[in-house]
Amino acid sequence: MKTYIKNIFIATAISISFLSCKKDNPNITDEVYLNTTNVSTTWLAGLKRQMALTMNQVIVNTELVSDNYYNNRTLSNKVFDIPQIDNFDLDVNNIQSAIQRLRESSEYGLTTVINADKTTTAVQKAEMYFINAYSHLLSGELFTGLPGAAKGVVLSPAQHYALAITALDQALALQTDAGEKLAYTLLKARVYYDMGDAVQARIFATAAMANPLLLKQQAFDGQNGAPNDFQTYIFSSTTNEFAPLPRLDFLDPKYYNTTTIALDQKPVSYIKSEEAYLIVAEVQVSGNDLTGAQTTLKNLLTDVIAKRPVVSLSDVKETRNGGNRTDYPLTAVKVQFDKNDIERSGYVLNRKIANINISTVSGTMVTADDINSATTQDALLYLVYRMRQEIFISEGRRMTDLGIKFPVSQTEQLNNPNVKPADLVAQIPAFIPKNREMDDFTNNTATGVVTMKYDMNKVMVANKTAKEIFPFIN
Amino acid sequence: MQKYYPGSKHPTWSLFTLKMKLTIVLLFLSNALLYAGPTAGQSMNDMKIDLSAKDLPLRKVLDLIETKSSFVIGYENNTINTGKVFNIDAKQQSVAQILKQLMKNSSVEIRQISDKYILINTRKVFPPMVVSGTVTDKRTGETLPGVSIKVKGSTTVTQTDSKGSYRLSIPTDKEDVIIEVRSIGFKAREFNILRNTANLTINVQLEEDLLGLDEVVVTGQGIDVSKRRLSSNVVSISEKDIRDIPASRIDQLLQSKLPNAQIRLTGGQAGATSIIRSRGVNSAFISSTPIIYVDGVRMDNLNTKATLGGGSATGAAISSISDIPMDNIEKIEFVNGGAATTLYGSDAANGVIQIITKKGGADKTDITLETQLGVETPTADYLHFKRTKDLLFQNGFYQKYNLALNGGNGKFGYSFSGGYQNSTGTQIYDQNSNRRIDLRTGLRATLGNNVTYESSFSYVSNKYKRSRNGNQGGYTGLWFAESGASAITGPKFKNDLDAMTPDEYAAIKAYVDQAEALQDNGISINRFQTSQVFKYQPLKNLTFKATGGVDYRAQRQQIITTNKYLSHTTNTSITDQGSIDNFDRNYLGLTFEFNGQYEAKAGDFSFITTAGGQFFRNEDHQIEYLGSNIRDGAQTISIAASRTSDEYYSAVTSYGIYLQENAGYKNKLFLDLGLRGDGNSAFGKNIGIQYYPKIGISYIPSAEPYFKAIANVVSSAKIRGNYGIAGNFPTPFANERTISFVGFNGAQAASFGQPGNPDLKPEKTSTIEAGIDLGFLNDQVIISAGFYHSITRDALFVVPPAPSTGQTSQLQNTGRILNRGLEFNTILTPIKTGSTSLKFNLSVNTLYNKVLSSGGAAPFNINGFSARTVQTVVQEGYPIGFIRGNYGVFDDKGLLVSTTAQQNLGTTVPDLFGSMGINFQYKSFNFFANADYQKGAYAVSFDRQFRFNYGASTEGIPQAEIDKSGRTRWLDFTNMFVEKTDFIKVRTIGVNYNLKPAKGIAKSINIGFSVVNPLNFSASSFDPEATISGSSQGQNGATTGGISYSTYSAPRQFVTTLRANF
Repeated sequence: MKTYIKNIFIATAISISFLSCKKDNPNITDEVYLNTTNVSTTWLAGLKRQMALTMNQVIVNTELVSDNYYNNRTLSNKVFDIPQIDNFDLDVNNIQSAIQRLRESSEYGLTTVINADKTTTAVQKAEMYFINAYSHLLSGELFTGLPGAAKGVVLSPAQHYALAITALDQALALQTDAGEKLAYTLLKARVYYDMGDAVQARIFATAAMANPLLLKQQAFDGQNGAPNDFQTYIFSSTTNEFAPLPRLDFLDPKYYNTTTIALDQKPVSYIKSEEAYLIVAEVQVSGNDLTGAQTTLKNLLTDVIAKRPVVSLSDVKETRNGGNRTDYPLTAVKVQFDKNDIERSGYVLNRKIANINISTVSGTMVTADDINSATTQDALLYLVYRMRQEIFISEGRRMTDLGIKFPVSQTEQLNNPNVKPADLVAQIPAFIPKNREMDDFTNNTATGVVTMKYDMNKVMVANKTAKEIFPFIN
Repeated sequence: MQKYYPGSKHPTWSLFTLKMKLTIVLLFLSNALLYAGPTAGQSMNDMKIDLSAKDLPLRKVLDLIETKSSFVIGYENNTINTGKVFNIDAKQQSVAQILKQLMKNSSVEIRQISDKYILINTRKVFPPMVVSGTVTDKRTGETLPGVSIKVKGSTTVTQTDSKGSYRLSIPTDKEDVIIEVRSIGFKAREFNILRNTANLTINVQLEEDLLGLDEVVVTGQGIDVSKRRLSSNVVSISEKDIRDIPASRIDQLLQSKLPNAQIRLTGGQAGATSIIRSRGVNSAFISSTPIIYVDGVRMDNLNTKATLGGGSATGAAISSISDIPMDNIEKIEFVNGGAATTLYGSDAANGVIQIITKKGGADKTDITLETQLGVETPTADYLHFKRTKDLLFQNGFYQKYNLALNGGNGKFGYSFSGGYQNSTGTQIYDQNSNRRIDLRTGLRATLGNNVTYESSFSYVSNKYKRSRNGNQGGYTGLWFAESGASAITGPKFKNDLDAMTPDEYAAIKAYVDQAEALQDNGISINRFQTSQVFKYQPLKNLTFKATGGVDYRAQRQQIITTNKYLSHTTNTSITDQGSIDNFDRNYLGLTFEFNGQYEAKAGDFSFITTAGGQFFRNEDHQIEYLGSNIRDGAQTISIAASRTSDEYYSAVTSYGIYLQENAGYKNKLFLDLGLRGDGNSAFGKNIGIQYYPKIGISYIPSAEPYFKAIANVVSSAKIRGNYGIAGNFPTPFANERTISFVGFNGAQAASFGQPGNPDLKPEKTSTIEAGIDLGFLNDQVIISAGFYHSITRDALFVVPPAPSTGQTSQLQNTGRILNRGLEFNTILTPIKTGSTSLKFNLSVNTLYNKVLSSGGAAPFNINGFSARTVQTVVQEGYPIGFIRGNYGVFDDKGLLVSTTAQQNLGTTVPDLFGSMGINFQYKSFNFFANADYQKGAYAVSFDRQFRFNYGASTEGIPQAEIDKSGRTRWLDFTNMFVEKTDFIKVRTIGVNYNLKPAKGIAKSINIGFSVVNPLNFSASSFDPEATISGSSQGQNGATTGGISYSTYSAPRQFVTTLRANF
């Protein structure tokens, strides 16, 4: 019987050691990773994916905060439309997490990854610097302040812009592709615009105008967890989530799918020559060069926007009315930008009878006649910002134009002693209406006229000395 | 040569060390347990010696052999050859041969019991003997089936048959035979047998034992220990206690059966998750579900959503507990954490449930046939609109059939059972139907004189349908009807169902009918489980036990969303968005345990020493494969326009050794000491073996002589107290810093994975407890009272990182959690006569739960939505999972004057809970009912909040505020939708009648009728239990419920049972 227990023992011991031999770790540790091949290439691909994820956070949330889009269902942020921005809001934390992850990842790339991979090219380094610059640009544009390092001190927008310029200069020095260099140059112009530096902004914007159809887009991947979220919310979801302000209806949907959702994810145009024209025009308006500004804006229409693609699209399934509001117009009606405005046609499309035409890069209803008849600084400033709104719609730019900025999140504060109470408060200019009024309108079905509660471009011009807006004036 | 990064271990090295550790553990064990000598593999047949002896007494000869070999030889001095002298002259003969030669004229057995020890035992052969008789209940005179009759200290055992009779063949080599008669709920009895007849009849009367001091339990003890000796409480439930309850899953079966634990099903759909907790919520990281063992083998007990598969099937998670085998149960044991679970180490801070199955019966085969037939009706108590019941529900049909065979003899036992259960469910189009098949076999065999082999094997097939739950966007039956979402969904309806005209109602009814009919979501589970146990008893007081087993669970779920369904529910024409979402989860759990127990007596002292080692490995492999843009009618993704997939894998290996010493003085005072050491692959690099100690005392005053004076009043008493530590190990691989990879437009994209934590270790809950168990008036009044105070140190928190670090959340040992409470349980038997008994039981438990420290970590949510709506949150200074949301204040005019964000809107953990029951028996008629209750917890009704938002009702919000802001500020006063969730729920009411026909083939017939979930009394307007715990934050994450949201309540069942024994 002794052998009996021994057998049990041996059997147990063997099976245990056999089973425990396989310590299947499905993960790759960073130490293992840095010793494999192609490290820089895969890290850069990861950075590009993070660009896509970051843009999702930025676009979805800032379009809601702005007057552009309204959350007509319950799944997304329910208070940004008000706009109500709290430091403890999950989305406030999500946006900065996405931006900071972009920054931290680019820094890891520029320090650890390129040192581990001797095959890293200059262009790869340039792209990492560019992405680093972009993360600082977003930090400055969207936040009252954000740490510039892990648990670091909170940097002001100006400090972030300065870091963005430094990184862009390094990217430009390393980049060899002329088209890419031009895109970096345009981004530099945007940073100077944000800084309110009209001279520098004009120099780099003018340089970027060398290619009037300059375009840099961010790709998405619907099969691997990086779809264009805004496309989901404005088109692909079976229950359309977001509805545009009716006067912007003709610009929706900028992103859509014609084949399978997973395979058809439209890119976001985030660097485009339109911006160079708009910056130059704004420099001119602000400096009271009204004729110059008119010319620049008209050139923008003819040399750029007229040459951008327009597609014919079936959007018959659009219901617009997801749940929170049920009075969005679905057929062609007239609009008034506010109650004092004239009645205008063509702004709301009839989606039910035929295909609609959609500008996939830039579109605007502003005409050369509108520009010609704008003869005062205010009128032109109004047009510049209306055009910015229409051209940059669905690209996450409007909130910054409105002078709204997110605060540092509570989670950052709880983990980072450098965060001061003042950093936890959002910037919402006093002229911004509350209670969802930016998105509000009345739909008079009897007369067939939809009237917006506010024309925010008009409101901004009326408040043009507000420090949060118009960087070349204030 | 492959390069390895500096400072790393070569992979083979890490394997080696792991293997080494295990080997060391096992070697240590084998030595410790078998007292083995230094030369491994030594056999008395191989070892050859020279020996010469002349006229020496036996002991001297044996001493000589001992000096020439390394053996120690023991013999029974008083019986073998006393006074005799021996002569021997042997050259190069084996020790075995020499001993045989020496003993050739004696009737002895020479055995080598270890590498070192040889034992010479007297072998007496007695004529065959059979003991038979009948076992009856002393009070009622009724015969008792299933009573275990055992020859003490041997492997010979049998059971009484359905008529209470037994027949036991006594081993021919035993002289002093003690027969032990045991049945749960009765006092054990022992009989000394004289071997002077061939046939002996012993009729046994057993007396009820409500305190169960001499009951033998195994869970948490290594091998068997009687409750008297334990300083902690072990609840045991016999087959008799549960056989009349028509439950379809094990946690439902145990509802209101565990006096100090609370079990709540979080939804009424098949496979719904449950919240099971005993001593509060001692973790903010892991579900409070106890570890479940079946015959010593660890089961998959995932009771929250899985990592992949969207985490759930249509908005509610799948529980692995719903398909744990539950046929042929002999007994269930439950220990609720603290010292009682110390021997389980890093795995059992939430307690342990052990199911012990039958492995044999009486010497004649006993056949039991059972059928349960019944009607299920929807629980409409909590529906807001009267018409919802008609809109979404139906009456269902429930049927269950079971065949069981039990039999065997003293040497061999077998048990087989097969069951089939089918329920159509109470949702229209049978969208909650459930079909289950259970097969189970149990075997027991005696191999030789000292080895018993026990084996059990089970197969469960569980299949069910699921309609959509919660708000997943689009159509969800309950959300549509009850939350007012019908106003914004599909063609859009008025949403006050009860105010509709018959025509309007007919339209919505037709719409819902179609929307429900078009859903096609199914879950199918196949589960195999086996347990193999060898028990070796070389000596009367030495037992070794080796247990090995497997739990394999394959879950497949399929969610088919057709274009037709999407078109119907969105009221648009959709042609290219049909999809099939498949999710497979395969779980493999392996358990091995080896232990030994040695009993010793010295004067008034008794010792039970238990030592053992346990190893388990769990693998969880999940695959999700999705086909999008697929034609309606497709059942597989092969024809989809695009196919995507994802995979998740997790494995954990745990090994531990333990040592337990239970020392007793005079059967009345016991000291219980134990220590377990654990290693686990989920621990961080810097963490070695973790230790778990326990110490406890048990004192039985009723065993004192002075007690006799008051025995008429106080019939039994036990005082107990202990301190012990048990733990929860962290998530596998959470300790490592990783890089994660995902495809991005065809390229491999790398990014930061988890930050890693080389110091990750188990959270440890140390509990101090004390209690007293008293029986008054011949145990007609039993009172059990106790308190516990437990602190979880190094509590694992999923700490959200500072965004500026760019990292994701990481598990860290940073928290400290307190739970304390009082536990009372009482059983009253006011009537106890030969024909009648009336019994009441009531348990009362208090609970105080608080996060003492978060170690500076930011608050994090474990359930709910976003911070600006409502969540259940873990935060320093608050109970785990309190409801946090916006608090609105209204003025006299009914206008909202202020709203404050992130306020504590109430705890979700009750401060008082318990269960109660009544049992009345008159002759063969039996009536029973049981219920459980809770008080002091809150939940938020998101259904009500939506109903307000969508204008389906005002929900008590002042009209002035509605006139002013409409419904737009619906999230600003979440406090208005928070309600108390105090409840008393009657789980079962039943009657049954047992008859024993004098003629016919049936030996006994039992007819019963029971109602499940008949009565609900609650403070809340919604079902306080139907909370979406499944949406807790991750696989196996902590959850406390607290958010009621489009969740189906458990249905009501009316079931008749017919059970016949042949």
